[in-house]
Amino acid sequence: MRSAMAPESEKLIAATSGFVLAAAITALFNTALAWARDAYAPLNGIMKSLTGNSWTAHCLADLVLFGGLGLIFTKTRAAEKIDASRLTGALIGAVAIAALGLALWFAFV
Amino acid sequence: MNISTSDVVLLAHAGFGVTGCLAALWVFLEALNAQPGNAARIRTAALVTAFSMAAAWICGGYWYVHFYPPDRALILQGPWPFAHNLVMETKEHLFLITGILAFLLPVVAREKLHLNAAARKLVLSVAALIVITGLAVEGAGAVIEHGAKVALLRGGSKGAQ
Repeated sequence: MRSAMAPESEKLIAATSGFVLAAAITALFNTALAWARDAYAPLNGIMKSLTGNSWTAHCLADLVLFGGLGLIFTKTRAAEKIDASRLTGALIGAVAIAALGLALWFAFV
Repeated sequence: MNISTSDVVLLAHAGFGVTGCLAALWVFLEALNAQPGNAARIRTAALVTAFSMAAAWICGGYWYVHFYPPDRALILQGPWPFAHNLVMETKEHLFLITGILAFLLPVVAREKLHLNAAARKLVLSVAALIVITGLAVEGAGAVIEHGAKVALLRGGSKGAQ
C-alpha cells in the first residue's frame, strides 16, 4: 500500500545520519571510559575533582561527546556518505558490544 | 506513613524510566504503520521518551550520588555483593547508553517515515534498543533493591539468633 502512494527513499537527512554515528561512537566511548575508570584509579580521582563525583563527570563526557560529534557530523555531512542500512547496523552493533562489554568487564575483571 | 526524599526520588527515577520505555514502545508500534496521519504522534511519543529518560537520568543520578552509598555498604556486606559489583556497576553505565538513544529518537523521528524505508527501520531499531536496554536497567534496579533487602533480612535474622 505504501509503495502505491509515493516512491520510497533510502536516504537520511544530514542531522539524522550525523547523530546516529555520534550515538554509536558515544556508546563505545561510554564503555571504554567505564573500563578505564575501573582499571586506573587516578582517572577516577581526576574526574571526581571536576564535578564532585566521577559518575557525574562520566555523564557529562558522554553528553558533550554525543552533542559535539552530532553537530560536527551534521555540519560536515561526514556521515551522509554512509549507507543508511550500514549506519543502522553500526548503531545496533555498537550498543550490543558496549552493553556486553560492560557486563563482561564487571563480571570477570 | 513515613516517606523520605530518598524514597520519592528513587520511585520517580523508576517511574520515569518505565514511562520512557512505554513511550519508546509507542514510537515502535506507530512506526510499524507509519503514515502521514500518525507522523505527529510519532514525534510526540519520541519527545515523551526523551523527556522521561532525561527525568529518570536526573532523579537516578541525584539518588545515586546522595543516597546510594549507605545501600552500597550494606549490599557489599550482605549475601548478594554482586548486586553492586556486577549489577549496579553495569546498570549505572548501561543507562547512559539508553539515555543517549532516547535523545537520538526525536532526531531520527523527524524523517518522513512513510516515505523512507531506511528511516523507518532506523526508528524501529532505536526504539527497540531503548525498550530492551531500558527494561534491562529496570530489572537491574530490582536486583539491587533485593541485594539490599537480603542484606537487611539475613543480617537482622543473624542478630535475632
